Amino acid sequence: MSQSLRPYLDCVRSSLTAAICLENFSSQVVERHNRPEVEAMSSPEVILNPLHISRNENEKVLIESSINSIRISIKIKQADEIEHLLVHKFTRFLTGRAEAFMILRRKPVKDYDISFLITNFHTEQMLKHKLVDFIIEFMEEVDKEISEMKLFLNARARFVAEAFLTNV
Amino acid sequence: MLLLQYHNILIQSILQERFAPDTQPANIDQVISDFDNVTYHVSTPESKTKILISLSIRCFKDLEKYGATALLKREYGEYVVQPENGYDFSIVVDLENLPSSQEEKELLIQKIALLKRNAMAAPFEKAFGQFDELAAEAAKNSLDLSVPEDSGAEVMAVHYREEESFFIRASHDRVTVIFSILFREDTDRVFGKVFLQEFVDARRRSIQNAPQVLYSSKEPPLEIRNIAGVKEDVGYVTFVLFPRHISRDRREGCISHIQIFRDYFHYHIKCSKAYMHSRMRFRVAEFLKVLNRAKPEAVEEKKTASGRRFGAR
Repeated sequence: MSQSLRPYLDCVRSSLTAAICLENFSSQVVERHNRPEVEAMSSPEVILNPLHISRNENEKVLIESSINSIRISIKIKQADEIEHLLVHKFTRFLTGRAEAFMILRRKPVKDYDISFLITNFHTEQMLKHKLVDFIIEFMEEVDKEISEMKLFLNARARFVAEAFLTNV
Repeated sequence: MLLLQYHNILIQSILQERFAPDTQPANIDQVISDFDNVTYHVSTPESKTKILISLSIRCFKDLEKYGATALLKREYGEYVVQPENGYDFSIVVDLENLPSSQEEKELLIQKIALLKRNAMAAPFEKAFGQFDELAAEAAKNSLDLSVPEDSGAEVMAVHYREEESFFIRASHDRVTVIFSILFREDTDRVFGKVFLQEFVDARRRSIQNAPQVLYSSKEPPLEIRNIAGVKEDVGYVTFVLFPRHISRDRREGCISHIQIFRDYFHYHIKCSKAYMHSRMRFRVAEFLKVLNRAKPEAVEEKKTASGRRFGAR
């Protein structure tokens, strides 16, 4: 792991651990409703200040928290056209399976590539530190996966081109 | 399978089955498709022993202009018949009148399976012929072979797909083949760029004997700039074939190989996409496992030795 990645991930980890402090909270606007306040944005007094953590302009995390829910948005590094395409494909692949990932949001927040929404019901069912582990591992693996796929594509292209041209 | 085969495997297997010595003649009526929107029709219209194989190819008019008819006549001679309605070229094989030896039969099957390749070969053969003439002329006039010169030879354009074409031009020291490349999807375009870049770099890096490959994504190459119908916003791949690639004994292989370029190229783009897809599938499953670890396992209910439960009931 590179020198600057470690503090970045550590920072995200501790911020998340602090932010996931959720309790059941019924809507103050509609009777007998219980909605994630960070999505509903209907009662400003239960919304906390959002938090940005950036490694650089291409890699950042936005943590928006409220009394009963927290939204984490991740921007994945995209250095060139190929990486952009791969990230797009990969996040689409994930969001298409959002049902299985209980905490994944179907649509990312604007300017970010992928978003998670954790509510108090999730933290009641799942272990908080493991949820944080998941987010951190996700961030690590995604970068690795994207760069591996890119390397693979280049290697394959090279191999294919050489195989074709040696046979002419 | 790294390299694609030049022949049509379905035609080959049908004929092999029919040509086998102890098979009963049977009715066939089958439409077979091949790369570049080529369609074959294999049927037995008159009797079960006479197999009619017809070929429909989009650019047959172009090919005819460059001597496809003569070439096909040379290849298929006695089998050629009047083209079937709706098709461009037909041959009939009579099962009662086959060559006797197994080897000759195999050769015939192979030849028929290469129908598309042979039809498309016409402009290539013509260009190589022109190259021979020009080279001989240049040698006579003792031109310096290393100096490229405008040969004045005609550029042959074959519009083999709806939006894509290839162009061939001969000169005294080389033959240039240019493919126009158009991607329907953005993903293909990005992947294609990576692949084409490697085609361009391959010669510089490791294979010195390879033909030179050039790629331009915007402007058409100079050779074809003044041809009608050449669009600006299409990619162009140029193969420069040097005399050593088109020496007499390598010519046939070279024609087949260059022809298959587009299919090969797109085939590998699709393959990489499929690989990426399976890889993402695997990665998503891994992520899911990590997430599921967050769920605590259902704690087994504790019971006393006598089987009673704890807690309020």
